Amino acid sequence: MKERGCAIAVIEAEGLVKEYERGVRALNGIDLSVEEGEIFGFLGQNGSGKSTTIRILTTLLAPTAGGGRIAGLDIRRDAGRVRERIGVALQEAGLDDLQTGAELLLLQGRLYGMGGAQVRRRVAELLELVDLAGDAERPIRTYSGGMKRRLDLASALIHAPSIVFLDEPTTGLDPIARDTIWRYIERLNQEDRVTFFLTTQYLEEADRLAHRIAILDAGEIVAEGSPAELKAEIGTDVVTVQVAAPEDARRAAEVARGLAGVADVRVTENSAAVYVADGGAAVARIVRLLDDAAAPFTSITLAQPTLDDVFLRATGHYLQVDDAGEERAD
Amino acid sequence: MRTARATYYLVLRALRESVRQPEVELPNLLIPLFFLAVIIGAINQIAPDAFGVTNYTGFQVPVAMTQAVAGVAAVSGIVIVMDIERGYFDKLLLTPAPRVALLLSRLLADAVRSMVISAVILPIGLAIGSPLETGVAGAVVLLLLMGAFGAAYSGIGMAISLRSGNPQAAQLGVLLFFPLLFLSPAFTPIDVFEPWMRAVAEVNPVTYLLGGMRSLILEGWDAADLAYAVAAVAGLGAVTATLAMLALRFRAR
Ligand SMILES: Nc1ncnc2c1ncn2[C@@H]1O[C@H](COP(=O)(O)OP(=O)(O)OP(=O)(O)O)[C@@H](O)[C@H]1O
Ligand SMILES: [Mg+2]
Repeated sequence: MKERGCAIAVIEAEGLVKEYERGVRALNGIDLSVEEGEIFGFLGQNGSGKSTTIRILTTLLAPTAGGGRIAGLDIRRDAGRVRERIGVALQEAGLDDLQTGAELLLLQGRLYGMGGAQVRRRVAELLELVDLAGDAERPIRTYSGGMKRRLDLASALIHAPSIVFLDEPTTGLDPIARDTIWRYIERLNQEDRVTFFLTTQYLEEADRLAHRIAILDAGEIVAEGSPAELKAEIGTDVVTVQVAAPEDARRAAEVARGLAGVADVRVTENSAAVYVADGGAAVARIVRLLDDAAAPFTSITLAQPTLDDVFLRATGHYLQVDDAGEERAD
Repeated sequence: MRTARATYYLVLRALRESVRQPEVELPNLLIPLFFLAVIIGAINQIAPDAFGVTNYTGFQVPVAMTQAVAGVAAVSGIVIVMDIERGYFDKLLLTPAPRVALLLSRLLADAVRSMVISAVILPIGLAIGSPLETGVAGAVVLLLLMGAFGAAYSGIGMAISLRSGNPQAAQLGVLLFFPLLFLSPAFTPIDVFEPWMRAVAEVNPVTYLLGGMRSLILEGWDAADLAYAVAAVAGLGAVTATLAMLALRFRAR
């Protein structure tokens, strides 16, 4: 499912630095390379520099230092030709309230130099793809947030670009809308070999879609690899002890720390996560120790490390999502 | 060629939006008509004796037209700020369309809108007693002048919007017209001005624009007056277009 094609780098960045006015250093030397046909996930919390990286790579923003190439074209010297190659959906769906969905897409196609019959065919096709055919003639002002996202995605695809940048394509969407967007991305990647560079705050999204992930923290890439590789780097299993109350969690953690081979223990409100090399064997011993100590617990599970664990290891903190109503995707 | 194509489609978008927001366009028509009515109402009786203008309605119709056009042309600045805020401007910048098409399209759309609103005001002026000494050909020249002035004036609002990206600042585009209008012979001929006011009016492009339009309406063909009007609009346009271009370059780094 996640195999990679021949290794041609189509998105490259070298030493990207961005300093905004008043000395905000948003990027502090980003190097990355994305291969043709790859889905590259750029994971980081609010303010880590995801959008800044996208705006630089898509020619909207000039870097303070460093540079990049898209399909071999320099993002500064060849900006015009870079724009012809890429499709971009920025973080804020950039739409125009007064046009209808169809009008917006038609205009977009025209601005990419597409001819009349060609652009009309493409617009019909894309409206179908993003399930907006029935709403194409309504003013965008009347669209829901999810519809706007889908239209924005369609507009990024109007000229059938082979390289697509998506800045948090599913933030603020409900689970069904998110799943829909994920399926478009997978389909385009598998059927048309479209390369995706997508930023996200959702571990689940990165885990499901991305062939390769870079974790961005305060303007620096702190970890990079396939989700499986990154998880493997943790090097342990995770035994989670579910408890009813916070003090029980602390109690369980204390007990588990006494066990040989435990690399780390983390406590949350109603669980204690025990990082230990041979999780299978550890489960039995943990249960026995908890019983001996008369420490109450409700259940115990054994799992592989998740990207959340990877994120913690790489950045020293959990991935926090500001977005209201969204649980930590894990 | 590419610029022309992109400009064409962007002009269509601008005009489409204008048609869909009559509530934005209507005040640009009604406010100047209101001023036209009350100024004529207040001054018409004394105009011939006080400063030798025998048809004061004809004297005021160009004022109403320029005022309406300035209002119409200031809308583009506001639309651009909204596009910037909504992120639509970024979407346009992300296309390979030549940057200059983004500006040119707004200038041209404003020219069209300016001619349309002028074509509404002029017949109203004629209906309430304004002459039109140069006839149909003169009307066409009047509309063309207004189209050019609209494009020239819209450069101010766009320069401000592109540079600031700030909706409050964009409103300045409308407000700036009042000093320009009041420091011109809008209500009385320049001959009756105090010397300082006359000195200011003489360097104000609106003075020459009104002069050219009044000659078409009240007197007949006067090459010199027309040439001054065209030169004033062209000069204003050159300055505002340059400012708008610089602001666009600032925005689209
Ligand atoms: N135009 C700007 N001027 C000044 N500082 C900025 C500007 N844009 C972003 N920043 C700062 O740069 C840093 C990185 O911002 P960026 O938008 O790239 O983060 P992000 O990872 O996309 O965050 P989010 O998840 O909230 O979208 C932040 O500290 C932000 O405050
Ligand atoms: Mg962002």
